[in-house]
Amino acid sequence: MEKIAKKVNEEIERGWIGSDHSCPYHPSHFKGQDCSFCYCPFFPCNDTTFGWELEGRHGPVWNCSDCLFIHRTPVVKFIYSEIERLGIKDAKDPRLDGILKDAKAKFWKKGRALMVVGATSDAGKSVTVAAICRILHNRGYLVAPFKSQNMSLNSKVTRHGAEIAMIQVLQAKAAGITNPDAHMNPILLKPKGDTVSQVMVCGKPFKDYDVEGYYNEFVPGPGIEIVKEHVEFLKDRYDCVVMEGAGSPAEINIYDKDIANMRAARIADANVILVVNVEWGGSFAYALGTVELIPEEDRKRIKGIILNNVRGDTSKMKSGTDELERLTGIPVLGIIPHADVVLPSEDSEALRGVRKKGDGKSLIGVIKFPRMANFTDLDPLFLEDVSTVFVEKVEDLDGVDAIVMPGTKNTVSDYLWMEKNGIADAIRGLWKKIPIVGICGGYQMMGKTMDDSNGIENGVSAVYEGLGFFDNTTKFGEYSKQIIQNEGKLAVGDCGEITGYELHMGISEVNEKPLVMLDRFRSDPQPEGSVREDELTFGTYQHGIFDKPAFRKYFLSFVKHDGKPIQTEIGKDYDEILEENLEALAKVFEDNMDVEKLLDIAGVRE
Amino acid sequence: MLVLGTSSGAGKTTVCAMMCRYLKREGIDVAPFKGSNLSLNSIATKDGGEIGIGQAFQAWAAGIEPETDMNPVLLKPSGKGVIQLVLNGKPHSDITKDNPMDYAMALQEVKKAYDRMESRHQTLLCEGSGSPVELNRMDVDIANIGLLRVTGVPAIIVGDIERGGVFAAIYGTWRLIPEELRPQIKGFVINRFRGEGSILKPALEKIESMTGMKCLGVLRYEYLRFPEEDSLSSSEGKLEGDDVHSAFLANLDEMIDHAVEDGFDFDGLKKIAGL
Repeated sequence: MEKIAKKVNEEIERGWIGSDHSCPYHPSHFKGQDCSFCYCPFFPCNDTTFGWELEGRHGPVWNCSDCLFIHRTPVVKFIYSEIERLGIKDAKDPRLDGILKDAKAKFWKKGRALMVVGATSDAGKSVTVAAICRILHNRGYLVAPFKSQNMSLNSKVTRHGAEIAMIQVLQAKAAGITNPDAHMNPILLKPKGDTVSQVMVCGKPFKDYDVEGYYNEFVPGPGIEIVKEHVEFLKDRYDCVVMEGAGSPAEINIYDKDIANMRAARIADANVILVVNVEWGGSFAYALGTVELIPEEDRKRIKGIILNNVRGDTSKMKSGTDELERLTGIPVLGIIPHADVVLPSEDSEALRGVRKKGDGKSLIGVIKFPRMANFTDLDPLFLEDVSTVFVEKVEDLDGVDAIVMPGTKNTVSDYLWMEKNGIADAIRGLWKKIPIVGICGGYQMMGKTMDDSNGIENGVSAVYEGLGFFDNTTKFGEYSKQIIQNEGKLAVGDCGEITGYELHMGISEVNEKPLVMLDRFRSDPQPEGSVREDELTFGTYQHGIFDKPAFRKYFLSFVKHDGKPIQTEIGKDYDEILEENLEALAKVFEDNMDVEKLLDIAGVRE
Repeated sequence: MLVLGTSSGAGKTTVCAMMCRYLKREGIDVAPFKGSNLSLNSIATKDGGEIGIGQAFQAWAAGIEPETDMNPVLLKPSGKGVIQLVLNGKPHSDITKDNPMDYAMALQEVKKAYDRMESRHQTLLCEGSGSPVELNRMDVDIANIGLLRVTGVPAIIVGDIERGGVFAAIYGTWRLIPEELRPQIKGFVINRFRGEGSILKPALEKIESMTGMKCLGVLRYEYLRFPEEDSLSSSEGKLEGDDVHSAFLANLDEMIDHAVEDGFDFDGLKKIAGL
């Protein structure tokens, strides 16, 4: 407390500074934040709008790490003007309480919510949410993305060690948020078998349900409460919560059991925008049908329609949209052309059966495990002269210049799949001839053995031989999952920076030269991964390892196409590329939609 | 009977082929027809014309030889905004921005071909094109609204459940069809379903009661796809075996067997077709 008071006294004396771009942690909360009060003059305010009490080791602790109020410039300027007016010099001055009260009365108000639903899967909800987040962010609003319920193949780890869907992380980036949080994606479904899913709430296992149990017990019980709690949490802190629906909101056979769409909008009191993908045709029917099948009390929430992904002349749609507006009484906010931007792969690509991606010369075979996870790991490779092919059978390996074995939700089952269809033997045949890298589950398979004596992975107690490229043993001990965010450096090559995150069952005993040294929040860097350069074999638990240029360049330096090394030119972080593309995406939306109307519907204007 | 789709790739071609095959097996003299096709995949018929490949497959399913009248208008994109119009099997003209298709003429030719086909066969199974209710171009539609209007043919709607929103799509399609033509829309089919069929029941009944259309059935996800007509859908055709024809027919037979098992209402289909 003394330390905080001292810092606050310095801040009071120094006065207003706005954003501090010189700080190595900037922006620690959001882009454009006010940094004048890095230490809060009101701590601990004990106001549950801004924080909550946490049980610490030495009793209760006030936790307000998620508070954004003290980082809003008008608030900060008001506080300084009051401090000056009252002549306050010290953090312990009791009159500060009154200033907080006045600041809250003057500047705090509950945020609004806006929901984007789609007429179909793949309607473009995710990118629309991302675009709206960026459009609002660019106008100075504090925005948070939200999706109540997710079953995602691609996920990321938050600062607090919770797992949330990759797409909400991207949307948070569009909103200028530095640390996306599990509040943005409170319910995560992890399929455990054909019928049972593990329900995770805020990154923590909640309970296993089958389909019936989920809809009949979870949804009407804890489900609704969870959605409410987290939307409210975000509304307390942000000007607008931009929510994403799931699938179609007009599946009338399960309408009452759906907490991802109109029900969530009702809970959050959100206005709704309907997005329709024009590409397949029938968009007017999809739009009108969706609007009319939604019961009237919820239909009233739909305030706008966006026709997305138009190829060709958007003005040709005009006569149709006029008629659609007349029939539905809902304005068409925008006719958005197909946006050619680089964004992470979507889950649906795997489901749609996309086989080849990218147009680079060298061909990387990606083993398409039946339970493949986090294949967004590969996206940064497309910045280079690389294309990928998904390998589902032995012949798909023909002509590949390198192999990536990606993550999987079930290492043992997917390894057995690969042994059975001959891909494992084919990989053994290519070993030492072309570079092979395994990430997470793929890395576990490269070891000597996979010990599933407890039957965690495959349901039966057994120890399996792996590919044997590394002298490593992976043990699937008790049912527990490693969820960690990491930073560090390559232990090989140019020792450049890397970032990554771990999401795995099983712990590996490694007897190899490490690939990376992880040094974030650690006094002693921790070795991780395995490498045998002379055998062209690499493995790591770090998802996202291709994002920074260091490992991308290092790995590709071993890849040859037609006997020639390939060019690696892009020295950029994948993160920077995404940033540029989010801006481009928002521009496409902005240029083709009625932004004024959007701001009205979002309810962010006074 | 005319088979309309809620979008491109909804499964019109497959459903038509299956129905052709079914009716043929029932001893009915059935022939496929598609008023207008936008496709690069065409084949030459024995009578020396060019038609879309979908109708050729459907003709084989019906056990007859493909002929020009099955697809009187074929539009072949030749790039740079130019589309070649193949009329009655023969190249007719290039359609460009400045030289649009003579819609009235084309529809008239389609009507004539339809009449010729109808006089030669007991029944016709017609396939629509894309969605019939693209509000911005319904007035120049040939294969869907055009055909409904000039022939009075009864119709059903096929919706693809795989991408979600199928109830909205079927209802919305029905609702946007001009009111005077709506009585011709007698039924609908849900295509590409996976999972437990009973879960759909309340929704199917609701659509039936809202529209008066009858649900003919729910077709399960099948990997049977045809060499695609339009460039939008990916081709996942799995026609195995040396003899493509017999493999294709065997696949259709299998599909019909599954449909029968799942209670597909083939009698209802025949009734709509006036058989």
